[in-house]
Amino acid sequence: MKSSRTMSFSTRFGVFWASLGLFFVLWEVAALSTGNSLILVGPVPVLQALIALLQNHLPRGALGIQGADAAILQTLATIVFGFVLACVVGIPIGLIMGRWKKAETLIDPWLSAAYSIPIVILIPMLYFAIGADFFAEVFVTFLLTVFTIIVNTHHGVKYVSSALAEVGKSYGASETQFLAKIILPASMPDIISGMRIGMGRAILAAVLAEVLMSGNGLGGMMMTFQDVLNTPYMMAAVFLIGLMGIAVLQLPKILEHRLFRWKETESFSREMRR
Amino acid sequence: MEGNGELFQGDEKMNTSYARCIILPGSLAIFVAVWWAIAAAVNNSREIVGPYQTGTAFVSLFTDPPLTRLMAAGLQVTMTSILLGFALAAVVGVPIGVLMGRYLIVDLFCDPWVNIWYSIPAIAFVPLAMNWTGVSATSSVLIAFLITVFTIIINVYGGVKNISGSLVDCGVAYGATQTQIMTKIILPATLPNIMVGLRLGISRAIEGVIIAEMVFTVVGIGGLMDDAADNLQLALSGALIIVLAIISLSLAEVMKFITRRAVAWKESQAMIRE
Repeated sequence: MKSSRTMSFSTRFGVFWASLGLFFVLWEVAALSTGNSLILVGPVPVLQALIALLQNHLPRGALGIQGADAAILQTLATIVFGFVLACVVGIPIGLIMGRWKKAETLIDPWLSAAYSIPIVILIPMLYFAIGADFFAEVFVTFLLTVFTIIVNTHHGVKYVSSALAEVGKSYGASETQFLAKIILPASMPDIISGMRIGMGRAILAAVLAEVLMSGNGLGGMMMTFQDVLNTPYMMAAVFLIGLMGIAVLQLPKILEHRLFRWKETESFSREMRR
Repeated sequence: MEGNGELFQGDEKMNTSYARCIILPGSLAIFVAVWWAIAAAVNNSREIVGPYQTGTAFVSLFTDPPLTRLMAAGLQVTMTSILLGFALAAVVGVPIGVLMGRYLIVDLFCDPWVNIWYSIPAIAFVPLAMNWTGVSATSSVLIAFLITVFTIIINVYGGVKNISGSLVDCGVAYGATQTQIMTKIILPATLPNIMVGLRLGISRAIEGVIIAEMVFTVVGIGGLMDDAADNLQLALSGALIIVLAIISLSLAEVMKFITRRAVAWKESQAMIRE
């Protein structure tokens, strides 16, 4: 335990690749022992299907779906529009809730209800209320994302260190200055982490909307391959969706690390005091 | 309270019990009124149904014996899937999280996979589970497990990692064995994080089961609801949404209650120091 804290770089590297290798070996073994390509196929056919998909080759039999590039573009567009809309609406609401007690008392019960009810259950109803076009999917994405962003912004604004706020007050900052120069920068890490979690929700929402509503995009593609029992291509589509999730969730984490070193050290020192 | 006060504009104090008595029923009334107005404006029962029809359908869920039987059967499947998937995830996730936080070799081995699987949107598991265990409640359990377990692992892991070193050092200095350090120091100190993980986990489990059931359309309350919507019985669908909302709200409340009981000592300790 004590010695393992100071493990050399090459050991870390080795363990990582061993873990990666073990996964693919287990996958292949599982595929071989199942022996049924309808249930599980090994990594090789899936990677072949993935490459074929990325070169825009579709297998025969899967009718009525877009090419991979169009599907990826459509899913990305849904994610981006829904997410940006959620930020534009959610961040101001969170800010207002964190600053004004009345607004908080009014909105909070709604927020906690919306937060503990799985909003996905509304999708079948929304299908009839607003249709199944691109805007309906953007709306679903917005709806599943916005509450996460509000909750995180609210929390960040509400718990800005009082030491920071008092300095601003005693130097006579106006409300605008106070918001722009103290509250926003200090709560930015929380807002960003809300956006990161929200981005994960946006991907889920966009793909789910495609599966349940229009049948377009990556989600539609995945379910079409599932319907025609083309397991390698279905798993390749799952891979694409998974890769999208990983890219979107890991990239901001790295960015956050770079941008908010100062915040981390502060919270760390607070931790030590406690 | 963690030393950071709540920062509000001015001194707007509001009696919380007053707020609960007035604002909750008030906002509920506004919600029903807006809903009724939209439904009346659209005036098309194939697009949106008003609160009255939905309320009638909700009552008929309990008074109409065939409907009640249908709902009870669906409810049983859904609740079993949620609780089973969640319990499995807790039993598997908590130990893995503790081991990852405590032993660097386990951390290095599991961390990439936990992060990758955590980033994959739940819907991507649905076709895989359909292939492996068919369109059944077993698949719902599998999906609930898969999307819950990584949330729990990540929270427990974060908790163990952030345990103040002085606590463990103290144990080591007084000659505690590894088992004692684990059961008397690490586990109690991590309990708040474990509870957070479990609370996030149960809402993810609910969401996962409902997503699965909506795609499968033949099992559980989610399936009933999707099926009713497909048959244009929007009032019934809305009533089932209310049932699901009540279930998820009460599960969230139960988890909140358990958390408060479990980590009461932690809060009171902090209060004394304050």
